[in-house]
Amino acid sequence: MIRVRGLHKSYRSGDGSSQRVLRGVDLDIARGEFLSVVGRSGSGKTTLLNIIGGLDSDYEGAVEVEGKRLHEMTDLEASAYRNNHVGFVFQSFHLFDYMSCLENVMLPSLFDRKGGAAADARARALDLLDQVGIAEKASQPPMNLSGGQKQRVAIARALFNRPSMMICDEPTGNLDRRSGDAILELFRALNQEDRITLLIVTHDPLIADAATRCVRIEDGQVREDSGASVRASDEDGGADGGVDAGEGAFEAEERA
Amino acid sequence: MRAGGLRTLIVGDLRRNAQHFILASIGIVVGIAAFTFFLALGSGVRNVVLGEIFPLDKLEVVPRTTDIDLGPLRVGMGKDTLDDQVAKSLGALPHVSGVFPKMKLTAPSTAVGGESLLGNDMRTELIADGIDPALVQDDVASGYAFKHFDDGVAELKACESDEGCDGKMEYCGLRPRWRADGSELTPAERQQRVCRHYVPVMASNHLVEIYNGTIRRAHNLPKLNPEFVVGLRFDLRVGESMVDASKKDKIIVERGRLVGFSARAIPLGLTLPLGYVGQYNVFYGSPEAASTYHSIIVDIDSKDNVAAVAKSVEDMGFDVADSGAEQAALLITIFMMVFGFVSVVIVGIAAVNIMHVFFMLIYQRQREIGIMRAVGATRANIRALILGEAALVGLVAGCFGVVLAFIAGALFDTVSARYIPDFPYKPETYFSFDPPLLLGAFAFAIGFCVLGAALPARRAARMDPALVLTGH
Repeated sequence: MIRVRGLHKSYRSGDGSSQRVLRGVDLDIARGEFLSVVGRSGSGKTTLLNIIGGLDSDYEGAVEVEGKRLHEMTDLEASAYRNNHVGFVFQSFHLFDYMSCLENVMLPSLFDRKGGAAADARARALDLLDQVGIAEKASQPPMNLSGGQKQRVAIARALFNRPSMMICDEPTGNLDRRSGDAILELFRALNQEDRITLLIVTHDPLIADAATRCVRIEDGQVREDSGASVRASDEDGGADGGVDAGEGAFEAEERA
Repeated sequence: MRAGGLRTLIVGDLRRNAQHFILASIGIVVGIAAFTFFLALGSGVRNVVLGEIFPLDKLEVVPRTTDIDLGPLRVGMGKDTLDDQVAKSLGALPHVSGVFPKMKLTAPSTAVGGESLLGNDMRTELIADGIDPALVQDDVASGYAFKHFDDGVAELKACESDEGCDGKMEYCGLRPRWRADGSELTPAERQQRVCRHYVPVMASNHLVEIYNGTIRRAHNLPKLNPEFVVGLRFDLRVGESMVDASKKDKIIVERGRLVGFSARAIPLGLTLPLGYVGQYNVFYGSPEAASTYHSIIVDIDSKDNVAAVAKSVEDMGFDVADSGAEQAALLITIFMMVFGFVSVVIVGIAAVNIMHVFFMLIYQRQREIGIMRAVGATRANIRALILGEAALVGLVAGCFGVVLAFIAGALFDTVSARYIPDFPYKPETYFSFDPPLLLGAFAFAIGFCVLGAALPARRAARMDPALVLTGH
C-alpha cells in the first residue's frame, strides 16, 4: 500500500527562483494496481513517481510504502528499498553498453546486501531474459539490440530482485507501435500474473487504457483519478484495490 | 556491495576509459619513477657512505684532552689513554652491545714486501693499531686466523722449510732475537729455524680503494682485487724507521700476513691483534702499556641509539671521535629530502590531473551512476567505486613507475661502470631498492590517486539520481 499525503516539491532554478512542481498531492495506491499517470510535460508526474520510487528524497509531505515513511529512511535503507522493492524502467532504457545483456540484468545483484551466489544470480538473469523473450541475446551487448529488445532487457533488470512495484517512465516512448504493444502485453502479464504494482508515466493512450486506474496530474495536483470512487468503496468494504482493466479509465491525452 | 561486484564494475570502467586513465597516470608514473629512483639512489649512497666509509653503528671513544697551540706545535693537556676500568664502564651503558679496546703501536715500524703482487718489494713506514680480535672475526678470510699467537721460544717446532710447518699461518724462520721480556737469545739459539706464526694483520678497504683509485695510476701499477691480496706476506720490522731519530736500538723482525679486509681496521695502516701491539709497546715501554688503550670502540645495538650513547659517553667525561659520519648522513638526508620533495611535487601535479580526469568521467557517466543508484547502490558504493578505480590506476601507475626507476637505475649503473673512472668506494650499484621503499612507492602512488579522486568521488556520491536519469 502506497500512501501519499500533502506532497509538495519545488525546484530551484539557476536564477535563484523556485519552481513549484507538486502542490499538495494526495494519493493512495493499492498493492497490485496498474496505475497510469498522465499529464502534460512538466506537470509533475515523473517527479511524483521518482519520489515514490525513493530516487528523490527532497520534498515536503509524507510518502509511506507498506507503512514505512520514505523520507525517514537513511541512504542505506533507501538504497535497500530501491534494490529489493522497486524496479525502474526508463524511456531511454539506460543500459550499460559495455556489459552484456545478462550482466545488465544481473546489475542489481551487485548491490544486494542480502548476498547470494553469483551462479544463482546468473541463473535468475537468464530465466528473466527467457521470460521477456530474448534469452538468445544474453551474451550480446545492448547496442546490438533493437529498441524493443533493449526495453525487455531493462524490464528483466527491473524484475531481478522480485520487486513488489515497478515504476516506468514512458517505457514505450522510444518504441514503434508493434514493440510498444509487446511491452504493454508484458506489463499486463506481470501485473495480472505476478501481482506486481505498476506505476507508469505515459503519454501513450493504449497504456493509459490498459491500466486499471488512471491519474491525471496538472499543475502539480491530481486533477482526475479514475479509481478514486473505487478506492472509497474499498475502504468502506475493507477489500484490497484492483479494478477491471480499462474500467473507469479516462481517455489519455495524445502522445506529445 | 559485494567485493566481486565492485571488482567487476571497476575493471569494466577502467577498460572502457583506458585511454583517459593512461594519459592521466603518466604524471603519476613519472613522479613515482623519480621518487623511487632518487630515494633508492640516496639509500644506496647512504649504505656505501655509512656502511663502508663511516660505519655508523659504532662509536670510537677517546680521552678528553685540551690542546694548546704553541707556535707550530700543539700540546695536549690531560691524560690521553684509557684503561680496562673505563672499558668496563662503557660496556655497562644502555644500548651498548660490546666494547673493544684499541691500542696504537707506540714504537716506529716499517713493512717490506709486495714483490709477488707488484714485481718488486716496497718499503713503507708503518702505522699500526691493535684491536680486540673479536671485533673483526667476521671479516677474516677463510683458512686464516686473526689472533695473538704466543710464540714461546721453547715450544717452537724445528723445521727446514715452510712445508714442514702447518697451515697458512705458519712459516719456517729463525727464532726472534729478543724475548718478550727484552732479554736477548744466544747466537746459537738464534740460528735455529723453527715454525713461527705469521703476525696476522687486517687492512681497511680504504687502503685498496685509495690504491686502486689514485696510487696505482701515479705509479702505473695494476689494479688490485682485494680477494687476491689476502694472504700477502711481508716483513714487519718493529723498532725500525726511515726517520733516523726515531729508530730503536732493538728491532723485532716478524713476518706478517694479510688475513682480510675490514671496515673496522685502521683506515691508513695495518691492524694487528691487540696482544701483539701490547707486547711491542711493553717491549719498548713499560709493563703498564699492556692495559693502556688509546681509544675504545663501542658497538651499539641500533643506529637509532647512537646519539643517546654518544651523550652518555660525553657525560662520563670522554669524547667521541669525529668520523665525519654525521655530516655525511646529514648531506645524504638533505639530498634525499630535496629530490623526494621534487618527486612529491610531480606526483602532486599528477594527482590534480587525475582529479580533472575523474571529474570529466563522472560527468560523462552520470547516467550510469544514476542507474546504479536506482538499482540499489548507496552513496558509499559510488564513492568506493570511484576511489577503487583511482586506487587501481595508482597501483598500475606505481608498478610502471617502479619498473621505470629500476630501468633508469640499471642504465645509470651501466654508464657508471663503463664511462666513469674508478674512484675510492665506487660501488657496483648506486641504488638500494629496499622492500620498504617499493611498498612506500606503491602506497604513495595509490594514495595520491585516491586523494585526487576524493572530490570527484564525493560529487558522484552526492549526485541526484532523479535529476541525472529523468532530468527532474
